Amino acid sequence: MTPLDYLLLLSLLTVVIALVAGHRSMGGVWLTFTYAAQLGGLMLMAGLTNQPDVITSSLSFTILGQSLTWRYDALSWYFALITISAGLLSTMYTAGDWGEKFRADGGNLWLLHVAIALNVLSMLILLGSGDLLTLFIGWELVSWASFLLMILAGGPSIQAAIRYITYAMGGAMAILAGLALIYGHTDSFTYPAAANILHSLSTAHLWAPLLLLTLGFGVKMALLPLHLWQAAAYAHTPGPGAAFLGAISSRMGLYALIVVLIQLVGLVRVIELPVLFSFISARDVLAWVAAFTIIFPTFTALRQNDARMLLAWHGIGQGGYMLLGLVMGDALGSAGGLMHVFNHATYQAALFFSVAAVVYRTGTADLNRLGGLVARMPLSFLAMLVGIIGLAGLPPMNGFVSKWLVYRSLMLEGEPLLFVAAVVGTLGTILSVYKLIHNMFLGQLRVEHENIREAPWSMTAPMLILSVVVFVTGLMPGLVLQWIAGIQATVGLPVIDYSLGGLDSAQGSLDMLWVVGVLFAGFGIGAVLFYSGGRTHRVHQLDNYAGGHFLSADIRYHYSDNFYPGLMRLIGPLYRYSFAWLESAVQSGLGLLSLSTQGFYRRVAPANYALVTAVLVLLWVML
Amino acid sequence: MDALHILIELTLMPLVAFVVGLFMVLMMRRIAARIQRRVGPPLLQPLYDILKLYGKQTQISHGILHDIGIIMAVGGYIAAETMLPVPGMNGIADKAGLITLAYVLMVPSLGLALGVGQCANPNGSIGISRALTAMLAYDIPFVIVIFGVAWQAGSNNLVDIIALQQVDGIASWGIVQTPLLAFAGLFALHAILGKHPFEIYIAPAEIATGPMVEMGGKYLGGLFVMQCFQLYTAGVIYTSLFLGGGENWLTFLVKSFAVVAVPICIAYLFPRFRTEDVVRLVWKWPVMLGLIGIAFVMN
Amino acid sequence: MIKDIPIIAEQAQQPRRTNPLAHVFDELMNFARSRSLFMLHYCTGCGAIELPPAMTSRFDMERLGIQPMVTPRQADILLVTGYVSIKTLKRIILTYEQMGSPKHVIGICSCTVNGGMYWQSYATAKKLDEYLPVDLYIAGCMPRPEAVISGLQKLIDNIKHGKSDNWKDYYQRYDHYLGNQQHLFGNNWQTPTDVIGEAREYGLFGPQTLGQHTELLESVQKPLQPLEMKL
Repeated sequence: MTPLDYLLLLSLLTVVIALVAGHRSMGGVWLTFTYAAQLGGLMLMAGLTNQPDVITSSLSFTILGQSLTWRYDALSWYFALITISAGLLSTMYTAGDWGEKFRADGGNLWLLHVAIALNVLSMLILLGSGDLLTLFIGWELVSWASFLLMILAGGPSIQAAIRYITYAMGGAMAILAGLALIYGHTDSFTYPAAANILHSLSTAHLWAPLLLLTLGFGVKMALLPLHLWQAAAYAHTPGPGAAFLGAISSRMGLYALIVVLIQLVGLVRVIELPVLFSFISARDVLAWVAAFTIIFPTFTALRQNDARMLLAWHGIGQGGYMLLGLVMGDALGSAGGLMHVFNHATYQAALFFSVAAVVYRTGTADLNRLGGLVARMPLSFLAMLVGIIGLAGLPPMNGFVSKWLVYRSLMLEGEPLLFVAAVVGTLGTILSVYKLIHNMFLGQLRVEHENIREAPWSMTAPMLILSVVVFVTGLMPGLVLQWIAGIQATVGLPVIDYSLGGLDSAQGSLDMLWVVGVLFAGFGIGAVLFYSGGRTHRVHQLDNYAGGHFLSADIRYHYSDNFYPGLMRLIGPLYRYSFAWLESAVQSGLGLLSLSTQGFYRRVAPANYALVTAVLVLLWVML
Repeated sequence: MDALHILIELTLMPLVAFVVGLFMVLMMRRIAARIQRRVGPPLLQPLYDILKLYGKQTQISHGILHDIGIIMAVGGYIAAETMLPVPGMNGIADKAGLITLAYVLMVPSLGLALGVGQCANPNGSIGISRALTAMLAYDIPFVIVIFGVAWQAGSNNLVDIIALQQVDGIASWGIVQTPLLAFAGLFALHAILGKHPFEIYIAPAEIATGPMVEMGGKYLGGLFVMQCFQLYTAGVIYTSLFLGGGENWLTFLVKSFAVVAVPICIAYLFPRFRTEDVVRLVWKWPVMLGLIGIAFVMN
Repeated sequence: MIKDIPIIAEQAQQPRRTNPLAHVFDELMNFARSRSLFMLHYCTGCGAIELPPAMTSRFDMERLGIQPMVTPRQADILLVTGYVSIKTLKRIILTYEQMGSPKHVIGICSCTVNGGMYWQSYATAKKLDEYLPVDLYIAGCMPRPEAVISGLQKLIDNIKHGKSDNWKDYYQRYDHYLGNQQHLFGNNWQTPTDVIGEAREYGLFGPQTLGQHTELLESVQKPLQPLEMKL
């Protein structure tokens, strides 16, 4: 028995407990403990991050001469850490009052627990895949597990989940075809054999499996233009489920892409691989796909009026930064991309938790029906504030560090356009998250929300834990970068030269300890200046400038709808519905094809066939 | 560098920035007055304003976030000043770099935006919405300029960039080496300062000074302090990027004041652009020039 | 019938602080206050037309540190520049109460002094100082910019010497002012501001802050407690 066996068994045990006790009131608490145990099991393997080593599972099969193995290395460990932590905090969130209310509102709490446990298990299995076949098996498990989580709320989520599974099946077919192509060359599913054959393939032959696999895994990553399923599917999942999915689920696609692009094909090969009949390489294509994945979903998020949709769209956009950093392939970029996985998971989960807390208290996530909640839900506000600073990538939170690494890499690699694209994404994010926090927590408190209270501790505790993580890893990015350095050594990327506060480099270093220290010292001086001024008197929000108008409680004095009209007038028409249009075009094209096929053998009268045949035969005879 | 030394630098740099900023505000108001054929305010007018505002005897607060917003707005700039090298003092410029500086400079705006949001005044929210849109507009040429300069210098570190420009006198200045980037930078700088024709988010007559609508007393005083820092920061960044920084305090101050004077002299001749026109204008000309400039730099 | 309580033009001066440092500080603040006046011009009538020349190149108020501001929160001086109809007066009072102290009211034109040519109008408040503590009247129909500037210089002098504390009168005799306001606007009169709470906060209570009129106000006012953060 290896530590990996323990981990997988514990995860299986969690599923069993969820199945048996998920409907009990204490079930959530027990599950929280089993997730904590899983985290402990993972910590037994923490040595993986220091040396390029693998821990294999004693679980293995031999089917048709192919052995299926599972093993963990630094990369798997890193993703597993995020997965289990997301599961742990989501379950903690669900375990208390949120779950009670969910059940009281007619939700199936048992199924939610089971689905999250299944998701964690299947992801752990996927992350342990030791060859291409187990990778595919794990992939399918993950797809169906997330489908279960997405669909369980019923209502609008059913349509979104079915849309997801359609995309996922398409992606899986592409992956299967890609694997079949590789298998055709090697007669083996092991990584070394696949890597060998992929290295020796000619450019033209390499393109097909590479494209198929990237497309297939890109579906889960929601890379443009395969992203349309994700926002709705995540947003309609019940609160903690959405937090779990948003934190880690789609990053499985990134994991698989790392395995394929970096471990099997090798990034050098991707950089050299030319696109036929053009002067760009496969890396450029991937980088621009990533850049568009940053920009378009971010600006789509800007238009959303539902807080969960807004966050889910940002989840897609932030995935672009991870891929963009990775395909840069240098130490800084890949470190930034990998680190962003962790950072994104932390702040995205905190944000979803905070939004779910607001939904729990007010019953709506509609950004036009909220406002002023900071006076009533300050802890949720704090979590959201930390989360949005992280999401926007501003100091002092952790999102800044990973984005900084990506920017820096783009600068050093000499990619001005990609750099501008990345910054445009960040700026769009700032606009959009301000709209989020303003419309929910700032501005005028609605009369019907006068008597709302802060969410209970079972809900605020997970988000505050995450906020602390977001801040601490922003202050000391070295904590995460040490794992990243281990991954880079394992998968064969250049290793980042990090320090506790960031990195030291002759071409411009970053020391977050100093930056954050000085920033807070500045805040301190600002506070001294502020409080040395005259005394202030707290006033009611209706004591407000309105051009001499007398405000009263029945007057809605708040600005929320169409928050950025100037920008929308300019860029709104540019991208509105273009991707939805593309999707519907593909959809109707496929529909037409299947209809004509069907019609060909079923609908058209046999008499016509006979007639056509007779005419052809006659012609042939006469000629 | 020992701890005491760096502590002295960290204290002095914001202080210098504030004093210089006061005179930049004075210069701005004097230039505006002269353009309008007025006399303009006396020498210490910016100081009187700030003293009076901090000394208001009754002032209102809309909540703790209203206070924190002002603290963040002033504190963020105080922190940013320590990342801007001045003659003889580098502060923590070599630990932060240009990109960090650009993003630290967004912290005050975010703080202010939070404070304004707490005021529950739609005029303020509209102002912030417009200000953020303007930020989306001008930050793109700004980062293009940063990219070009960092590429040219081979470093992200302002100290290196300045040192490189001082090697060879005026011939090695950024404005001579990369004139297109310098022009794009000046354009972006004008928009960053938020003066006419880019002051749609203040728009006193339509949205009652936008973000400042509910700010009185020390809240407004904090914003006045922030304006000093803002002018100083803009002037010094541009001086460091394109005018070779300061060999000594005299040239440094002359260059910084000259940089700030240019957009101000232009500003008071214009009315305002609408938000989308700001975005359209800034995304077109400075971005185009900046990209061409980068193309020259990278070849 | 308006109750005839005479306005206290000269306030009892605050005793000077004996600590020399505090004294210097007070003098400095008074000086800064006098040299930096942000004004909010409530352009009710024709007098407003005299302000642009006073502000712009011909006379340039900015020399004296006076500049226009937009909202009451930012302003120090409330300029009421013309006749005050009853409907307008409500807004003027709200605006005044939203300003931060020290604040000064200047009535420009004869109409604010005694109703001027609107003396016979049923809809015009005749004497502004019955409803707000006016620091200075600039009479004339209309006063020329020179007169406006000289009035403002008088105000600057008063502030510099600590003699312009009429804003305290509004807190200390709130009942009186409120009574006059209620007489004009009816018993339901209230603003979204909380003058009594402010007086309590800053220790500006006087013998006539509370009285029968404030009792009436408290009986009709909807409670306007600030939104405290709740955990």
